[in-house]
Amino acid sequence: MKDVVIIGAGIHPFGRFDKTAEEIGSHAARMALQDAGLAWSDIEASYLSRMYLPATSGARILRKLGGTDMPIVDIEAACASGGAALRQGVLAIRSGECDVVMVLGAEKMPRGFMDPRMIYADWQIEMGLSLNPSYWSMRAMRHMHEYGTTDLQIAKIAYKNHQNSVHNPYAMYRKEFSLEEILGSPLICDPIRRLEICAPDDGAAAVVIASADYARRIGARAPVRIAGCVHTIARYSADFRCPADSMSATVDNDGPTEVTARKAYAQAGLGPEDVDCFEVQDTDAFCELEIYEELQMCPIGEGGRLIDEGVTAITGRHPVNMSGGLISKGEPVGASHLGQVVEIVSQLRGEAGARQVQSARVGLAHVLGAGGNCAITILQN
Amino acid sequence: MTDAMPSPELRPVRSGLLAGPLDNLAALKLAGSRCRACGETTLGTNALCPNCGRDDVAPIPLSDEGHVWTYTVIRYRPPGAYKGPEPFVPFAVGLVELPEGLRVVAPIGGDPEAVRIGMAVRFAPRVRDDGVVEFVYHPAA
Repeated sequence: MKDVVIIGAGIHPFGRFDKTAEEIGSHAARMALQDAGLAWSDIEASYLSRMYLPATSGARILRKLGGTDMPIVDIEAACASGGAALRQGVLAIRSGECDVVMVLGAEKMPRGFMDPRMIYADWQIEMGLSLNPSYWSMRAMRHMHEYGTTDLQIAKIAYKNHQNSVHNPYAMYRKEFSLEEILGSPLICDPIRRLEICAPDDGAAAVVIASADYARRIGARAPVRIAGCVHTIARYSADFRCPADSMSATVDNDGPTEVTARKAYAQAGLGPEDVDCFEVQDTDAFCELEIYEELQMCPIGEGGRLIDEGVTAITGRHPVNMSGGLISKGEPVGASHLGQVVEIVSQLRGEAGARQVQSARVGLAHVLGAGGNCAITILQN
Repeated sequence: MTDAMPSPELRPVRSGLLAGPLDNLAALKLAGSRCRACGETTLGTNALCPNCGRDDVAPIPLSDEGHVWTYTVIRYRPPGAYKGPEPFVPFAVGLVELPEGLRVVAPIGGDPEAVRIGMAVRFAPRVRDDGVVEFVYHPAA
């Protein structure tokens, strides 16, 4: 199988801006091209990851860079859209049809809870069963009941991510909060509080990917290898994140993160102990705790211990969400995974400044969302 | 003198979700489907079994009695066309486990602060002012 590498990375800050999707998307794309030392006319195919933007947004954004006859395709897989788009780019190169591809994520979203009509049926909306955080919270309540996970452990994850965000110029919120402030913030859905949850926003991130041969030929600066790139949908009843209306009490299938992680580790020929830094889906602080377990950083039920022991701090054995995570960056859905990938690239190049994980050689980016869509990308230096 | 408003005609919140005639609410059940091939029970009237994909599925009414497997309290008004009380009143929502081996996402009536995992609850239809029949689980006490 052909080796695929990232040769350019670009990002537009995540936040709320008085700018069009074309403006923020083309900003990230041009930055990635500049980082790769390539011109737009060198690119052979492009994929846009987006969920809220209208049809043909990829063409609308990228045609601003100049007329082209390449294929430009929009990809949607809920919160995992970026992983699905990156995977299409990787496949285009592995197949031999393309040598160099642009993968862009871009989004513009209204404030507040996401529009429930995107994923719920009318009856669920009418009965009030359409609040995304209520599903995350029900998972948290069950985990606390089964394993003794505490409010304080959940708050510590939010504390860590807010603290990391101070050093990330691309995050929407860059403010440190005390544990008292986090635990004193209003409950959204028990046990999840306002300062433990992510907000929708605007943002864009892009990578230029190429075959390893192409990267060598052009003398690419600091190429980063895509060791694994996997997207899956949850098996039957394996996820009640949303928009579920029920789940089985008899069938116990592995969850989407567990399945995707196994496939991604196998594709990369690496295991969790080989990974030096992680960017994961902290739609809420509990979600990150559960992901520690499902990415095999610890046995199921022991996620709380990891945060207590500082294992996932930037200076810990398994640093998680050095960027501040979605809690700090917000979640511009289509841009989210590419934003994680751009962070990992800067970590593996040793360019992450105060967020830098010492001697990081391998990094993992993980997204998870509606419908049990999950994607994991593993990068290696 | 005012004439009483005619009662609106009763309609289910979703077709295939409730079993029994709407004009006898006391006998109304939540509708389920049981797969004859794999034995899995699912919510609502389904033509296919989402577990095994086969089409040998029979409708069954689901039991009224269940228990709370997990829950949360919704403390902000859900977005969009929510038809609950205005101004918004916080309410509990949970996964209610039924003896058929199924956990149903449902509102839980009564005091949201009193809901606990393991609590026994009972199915009840709930009729909205617009004639739509929804469902809720009440503490079985």
